[in-house]
Amino acid sequence: MWLYILKRVLQGLLTVWFIATATFFAMHNVPGDPLTNDRAMTETTRANLEAKYGLDQPITTQYLIFLRNLARGDFGISFVQENREVNDIIREHFPVSAILGVLAVVFAATGGVLFGALTALYRNRLPDYLIMFLVILGISVPSFVVAALSQLSLVSLNTLVGFTVLPVAGWGTVMHMLVPALVLGLSTMAYLTRLMRSSMLEVTSSDYVRTAKSKGVPPTRIFTRHQLRNAILPVVTVLGPAIAAITTGGFVVELVFAIPGLGRYFVEAVQQLDYTVIMGTTVFYGAFLVFMVILVDVVYGFIDPRVRLDS
Amino acid sequence: MKAAEENVDPATPLLTVEDLQVEFDTYGGTVQAVRGVSFSVDQGQTLAIVGESGCGKSVTVQSIMGLIPTPPGRITAGSARLRGHQILGRSTVGGKEIRGAEIGMIFQDPMTSLNPTMTIGDQIAEPLQIHRGYSARDAFTEAIRLLELSKIPEATKRAQQYPFEFSGGMLQRAMIAMALSCKPSILIADEPTTALDVTIQAQILDLMQELQKETGMAIILITHDLGVVARMADEVAVMYAGKVVEYGSADDVFYRSAHPYTVGLKEAMPTNDPARQHELKPIDGSPPDLFAPPAGCGYCPRCPYAMQICSDRQPQDHNLRGHHSASCWLHHAQSDSRPETLFFKDTH
Amino acid sequence: MSDLTAASFAPLSDQQPSQVIARPSLSYWQDAWSRLQANRRALVSLYIVIGLLLFTVFGPVVWPVDPAMQDIDQISQPPGTDRTATLVADYEPWFGTSGLPGTGLRLAEKATSQAVRLQWDAVDGASGHRVYRNLFPIGPELSYGIPMAEFLNNDTLYFEDRLDLQPGRFYYVVVALDERGLITDRYQSISVDVERVTTRTEALERGLITESNAVQIGDKITLAWHPLGTDYLGRDLLARLMAGARVSLFIGIGAPFLFVLFGVVYGSAAGFMGGRIDQLMMRFADFVVALPFLLFMILFKIAFGIGPGESGVFPMLVALVVLLWPATARLVRGQILQIREQGYISASELLGASTPYLIMRHMIPNTLGVVLVTVTFAIPSAIFTEAFLSFIGMGVAPPTPSWGSMSNEGIKTMLTTPHELFFPALFISLTVLAFNLLGDGLRDALDARMRNVE
Repeated sequence: MWLYILKRVLQGLLTVWFIATATFFAMHNVPGDPLTNDRAMTETTRANLEAKYGLDQPITTQYLIFLRNLARGDFGISFVQENREVNDIIREHFPVSAILGVLAVVFAATGGVLFGALTALYRNRLPDYLIMFLVILGISVPSFVVAALSQLSLVSLNTLVGFTVLPVAGWGTVMHMLVPALVLGLSTMAYLTRLMRSSMLEVTSSDYVRTAKSKGVPPTRIFTRHQLRNAILPVVTVLGPAIAAITTGGFVVELVFAIPGLGRYFVEAVQQLDYTVIMGTTVFYGAFLVFMVILVDVVYGFIDPRVRLDS
Repeated sequence: MKAAEENVDPATPLLTVEDLQVEFDTYGGTVQAVRGVSFSVDQGQTLAIVGESGCGKSVTVQSIMGLIPTPPGRITAGSARLRGHQILGRSTVGGKEIRGAEIGMIFQDPMTSLNPTMTIGDQIAEPLQIHRGYSARDAFTEAIRLLELSKIPEATKRAQQYPFEFSGGMLQRAMIAMALSCKPSILIADEPTTALDVTIQAQILDLMQELQKETGMAIILITHDLGVVARMADEVAVMYAGKVVEYGSADDVFYRSAHPYTVGLKEAMPTNDPARQHELKPIDGSPPDLFAPPAGCGYCPRCPYAMQICSDRQPQDHNLRGHHSASCWLHHAQSDSRPETLFFKDTH
Repeated sequence: MSDLTAASFAPLSDQQPSQVIARPSLSYWQDAWSRLQANRRALVSLYIVIGLLLFTVFGPVVWPVDPAMQDIDQISQPPGTDRTATLVADYEPWFGTSGLPGTGLRLAEKATSQAVRLQWDAVDGASGHRVYRNLFPIGPELSYGIPMAEFLNNDTLYFEDRLDLQPGRFYYVVVALDERGLITDRYQSISVDVERVTTRTEALERGLITESNAVQIGDKITLAWHPLGTDYLGRDLLARLMAGARVSLFIGIGAPFLFVLFGVVYGSAAGFMGGRIDQLMMRFADFVVALPFLLFMILFKIAFGIGPGESGVFPMLVALVVLLWPATARLVRGQILQIREQGYISASELLGASTPYLIMRHMIPNTLGVVLVTVTFAIPSAIFTEAFLSFIGMGVAPPTPSWGSMSNEGIKTMLTTPHELFFPALFISLTVLAFNLLGDGLRDALDARMRNVE
């Protein structure tokens, strides 16, 4: 198991290097001079920056400087907000996105497992049809529409009740997080519900559930001890990509609900062509996702004895 | 009523199944999978139900166990009585759980029949906790003892392992230990050796026989392998197209076969007895479509001795000797055709 | 049993064959087609998809309205609104001199979309006034709306509003200011129903009337018809949806087609070559999969550098292809490796089949179904991606319409004119839904092994 984890981490580092390289060359391809900006830049600042990033030197040297800084964990200084380090920006904005993302993943996973199991239990009956109808809606309606509509209904709700039940936008308290996280997790929840449903139905008709019945195990115990754990396995395998989709999908929700997360900051940085922030954020997100996927795989190993004991 | 049921005639067999009929609704229509099956089994006895795949033998025992999913399945007629008490559609009899406690069951493919994410020991311990009220720890200790009884070496270590760490034969032993954990009076074995190597097959059958001797349980063995039947069975029911076509003691069915299908099965089976060497003869054709069961005998299109009446009307059960019976028009008083491969009532 | 005769027991002379093949044998594709036809949801989805394609291709022929043309008489008009306008004289300036009699905040003349003219009486002790306009009543929170004008003297007691007036109800509030120019709690309010008017000159310009028409000032004329209403710039929503469909469906169908094609080539190459090359190729594919998708879509957009006047459709297409091929490559490689192990391939080889024959006869037909299903499922996610990027302003550049950018514009006026968001969102949802259900149906029809339990 430890060997497996070590192997995965080394692979992960290699992947992060690839992401960094791709980011570097994509950004290098951006037309225009990174230092030519709307903002007037003093000659000294300009010279300092040129020296720091080797902008006057050939691309290979620039690349090496970039990698060296990266290995030190130094993403550089923002071009637009001249005295802010990219690290600081990430440190300030990422926790917001992370909390939102984690909450969304929790919503999506618990909702997906719960609703998926429910639909399988009530197969071809009213709860099944109802939930599957909502699932189809969740899959087909774009997240920004859901975000806008939920904001709209929050406004109506607050007006109706006469006080602020849940805030419409902004960040700060748990109350601020609930609706955005739900919206962010919604399409993933729909996807996981579908997956859980088919997985649950497969397990229900499996031989070992029949065996459990033949042992006289009561239905509730069959459900908790035999069906649930086996049915969750495929859901856990897609949790890695699901986390990736949710974290990067946070842009829209952060924009609509005015949440000061890293996604919104990234969009602003792109609009202002803030090179270091764009590169730093991309590499950081990439690394984060790579290690989230590894984490999920390791967790999977603990749930499924076949994977745990084989490696 | 209850008192009357308690009062069981000692001559009543342990399990009696009468005129069992089971249907399945499918997209293609209704399948009449079991069309009136009767048999009985006594304590300490082994009944073998023989037939080719799709003849309804598994459905028969699964309906007794209440394992038929309803819908699409439906038991339309018949009864199954354990010591005289109706058990169809019930989960308990006389305060005792039928599944697991009164009747244990093992299945064809031990690889898929055990929960892959639960240790073997926990799975064996589960019925003990449910039916006997054992604590988790006591149940696990008992599970280890049961594994030892099933001749699994290093049982303590093995009990903590998962199914994927076991071989097929070992898994079937574990299945047997699990099915017998609550000392049921009947063990139903649904093709227990089909998925196993031949050498392992013999070991599993030996184990079942040994445990039967110890506990006095009855065994209902479902198989399509006549070799297994010859080795294990006291009683044999031959099933074809959802019906029992021949029923009797193993000796009667093997040596005094009275139904053309039984004879066909025997001829299709290889033998190592030089005196009975013959060319293997397959039975041509395939069983009838049970979406629309034929008006006459289901075997008629494949039967070498078929008569006009066979395609028109269902044959009756004809009692031959003792409780040996066959469902075939050839045994009708008016039939004068007497193929010499078949046993008839007045021949010896 | 008395009816049994000797004849009943006569041997059955002519044995019918015991098995008859009742159904004609169908080819793989025939079989798949009949299974798809049996799936009502998938069939309806197929009709919707065909309908969308017809809408995109032939829509502009049936409804030849320029999606960029602005109808400034009808801005943000939902479908089915009253299209009449009263012809009025050309605009003439007003200095608060003329007016209707009355006290308090009042209209100086009938409110029209040309101008709303307000007059009021001075509030005692006020040293100035501020005029607000709102689309909603003031309510208990005293939300006045947008400040329109401020007068820091007590003499100017009139205001003319010509800003962005549309037929409908507006709420005006005049709040008294204190000597420091701060608002006090004394205010007057009025609700105004604005009537749509147009001048003869404008009507002539837009071809609503001709010189020869005998229309007089005060007559009603009918404005242009917009079946699905107009957007915030007065552009015809139906025409824009058709133009947007071209962009959204071009990206939505073009990109999956291209990246699946590339994935198939890459994956089968890796699968066929096997060994070290296969390992290397697949490792590279793993790297590409690990790139954070949306971030790189945005990176590519700026890396391509969309010049002025360009729509940005092509860069987005390329970015989608570059980022999304690995999944198909993996799938196809897996299929090829799996098929190569199949018994029928060995059997075919034993019978002397050549490699091209094997590829044509076995490999392609056996992977085609999987690939088709992949394309069908890739289309909704590509459409979503386009919509998503356009929504956050990183997609196609305005004024090129796409369903995503239209939603982005519509969301700003969601509270007052929801139809501007509703229609593009509906089209996105409907398309995504149709392709998803069609994909489900295709998967079930093409490959029983991939069938999901439902």
